[in-house]
Amino acid sequence: MSRNTFAALVLCFLALAGRIPAKLRIAATLPDLGWIAEQVGGEDAEVTVLCPGPMDPHYLPAKPSLARRLARADLLVYNGLELEIGWLPLLIDAARNPRVRPGAEGELDCSTALQKVLDVPEAPLDRSQGDVHPLGNPHYTRDPRNCATLGRLMAGRMAELDPDRAEYYRRRAAELDTLMAGLIEGWERRAVSIAGHPLIVYHRSWIYLREWLGLESAGEIEHRPGITPSPRHVGRLIKKAGELEGVIVIAAQWQHIDAAREVAQRIGAPLAVLPGQTGALPGAEDYPSTIETIIERLARAAGETVIHGEE
Amino acid sequence: MRCILPIVSLILCATTAASQTSSTATGVSREFNPALSVNGLFLGQTSSDEPTAEANGIGLQEAELQFSSVVDPFWEADLILALHPAHAESGDVEGAHDHAGIELDLEVATLSSRNMPAGLGLVLGKFFLPFGAHVPLHTHQFPFVRAPLAIQAFLGDHALSETGVEVAASIPLPWYSELRVYAVNGDAALFDAGNRDLACGGRWMNMWETGLESTLELGASLLAGPAHPHHEDGEEHPAGDLRVYGADLAYKWTSSTRSQGPALSFRNEIILPDPEYGEHKPWGYYSLLQYRFHRNLWLGVGYGEALKAHLDLHHHEGDAGEEEHEAGDWRELKANLTLAPSEFSALKLEVSHIEQRDGDFEDLRLMLQWNFTIGSHPAHKY
Repeated sequence: MSRNTFAALVLCFLALAGRIPAKLRIAATLPDLGWIAEQVGGEDAEVTVLCPGPMDPHYLPAKPSLARRLARADLLVYNGLELEIGWLPLLIDAARNPRVRPGAEGELDCSTALQKVLDVPEAPLDRSQGDVHPLGNPHYTRDPRNCATLGRLMAGRMAELDPDRAEYYRRRAAELDTLMAGLIEGWERRAVSIAGHPLIVYHRSWIYLREWLGLESAGEIEHRPGITPSPRHVGRLIKKAGELEGVIVIAAQWQHIDAAREVAQRIGAPLAVLPGQTGALPGAEDYPSTIETIIERLARAAGETVIHGEE
Repeated sequence: MRCILPIVSLILCATTAASQTSSTATGVSREFNPALSVNGLFLGQTSSDEPTAEANGIGLQEAELQFSSVVDPFWEADLILALHPAHAESGDVEGAHDHAGIELDLEVATLSSRNMPAGLGLVLGKFFLPFGAHVPLHTHQFPFVRAPLAIQAFLGDHALSETGVEVAASIPLPWYSELRVYAVNGDAALFDAGNRDLACGGRWMNMWETGLESTLELGASLLAGPAHPHHEDGEEHPAGDLRVYGADLAYKWTSSTRSQGPALSFRNEIILPDPEYGEHKPWGYYSLLQYRFHRNLWLGVGYGEALKAHLDLHHHEGDAGEEEHEAGDWRELKANLTLAPSEFSALKLEVSHIEQRDGDFEDLRLMLQWNFTIGSHPAHKY
């Protein structure tokens, strides 16, 4: 290949690559965050979600085709706390979009809005503990009380990027706050029937839900995150859970349901398969209906088991 | 580069420093130390047909040290050093090689732009050439223990890493489409290192999402540079230009209903070298199929051929490209089972059969490879 041919090819790429984004475009890593961004951004915002609802965001394949969506974004909203560590850095690199690179104005780590991050390791970490999240548990969207906080955070950043519609974004964030307050009140009323039921979870992705509803933990099937549970650990868990009343076993639909079902059967507890995020299961098409589905399935499971003090 | 002790000591000092996060007495913050990781790859093997010590034994295959960091608002940098067994010829007996310590190779040393306009990417330094699907892989990412025969024969079986410049751009098409072009020094064995003409090339990669769970990837590659001198009648002759054309097709599927559930990868690549002097046009291809049938277990099968190719499999890695032997037709069949209990370790049991048609070479080999990663290792590309 001659040098002239090479130079012509480079010039050709320069011409082909030119694109000018027309308006505020938002890329959200997770469907939960995408729904909040849609509520705050309104009709004038164009929101795209990188992780499809049915897929576990821990293990999303970093398809370069996803980077195409990120390449056009003015604002990237992501969960943070290293939930997307396996794929988001690759997509940011592949997108080659300086607007959303770490440290840029269009990069928004939503975990910075949290007043309290749960499960932050206190002891030194190493990989013998599995695929742990060293910055704390990242599954904070399971607590709907965080929704309004996230909305306000997004509105603030949208206002900075698009000052002409700053008031519009703030107003919509306030409307989201009102909407969620009403929904949360209703969910908490219905969740009274779940109170007192200890939860066995497959993965520690429900700690914020437990914190919100004041539910006790009876253990985790996945002893170390990301590692196949050993029969010995499962045996110990079953023995311990057998001494408790009213246990409910829960797992997200993408987790190893067979293992969760086996534990549930062996201790005679109901199994509630819950949507791991928005869009994960039919009926959980948006964020409110996702939380609604979780409450409904937990309440149904609670109805299948008995706590003697409540008979 | 045999005297690697000072370098390794320096690296270990840097690693120790990076593991501490507080600032130093000098006031220099350690927060800005690069992300560090080490990958260790070991291989035990036995061959029914190759009596050499190299084909029968256990040893280090490669240890890779990686440093990655943002340099300043404009650049990011990556440095990858590979340690692997060195080889030294003992006497004049062809094929007799002994391990002679550890060799250190600089595989990657790049500056990547953070702020190029119009979605362009710019990489300066030493990098794996973006030719096809297999060449850009690090050794611990290989789906099988060894690179496919066609890669070994025509591009070298170890990292085609060259120094130069690469420009990448997304092409505005309805699907994901990316073009990478590069101009490099051309120091690899397949080039004539004495001829300082640049080697140039590019790769055009297209990807379609064929569903929520699957993608189809189609790529075309070109590599052009000064060819390695041609040996004929005991004399060395200039070989003119070398062009290598490539096309690759991959289908990947991952279950959306279960995390770490079933997954499949089917990769195919064809490579067509076109040396200026050549009377017979060599070519080769491979197909690799991998299937995750259990959370931690992958099954793989592969087949490939390298036709009219000069392969010196009696020799150690890095000899591909030498043209002292008559061209032949080669084929391989291999299968493996990989146990990956986490993202950070894997154990691979592999059997491979390589033969030269109408020739005297045949190698049936059983291999066990183990691999670990420690530190902040960047996620692997899709």
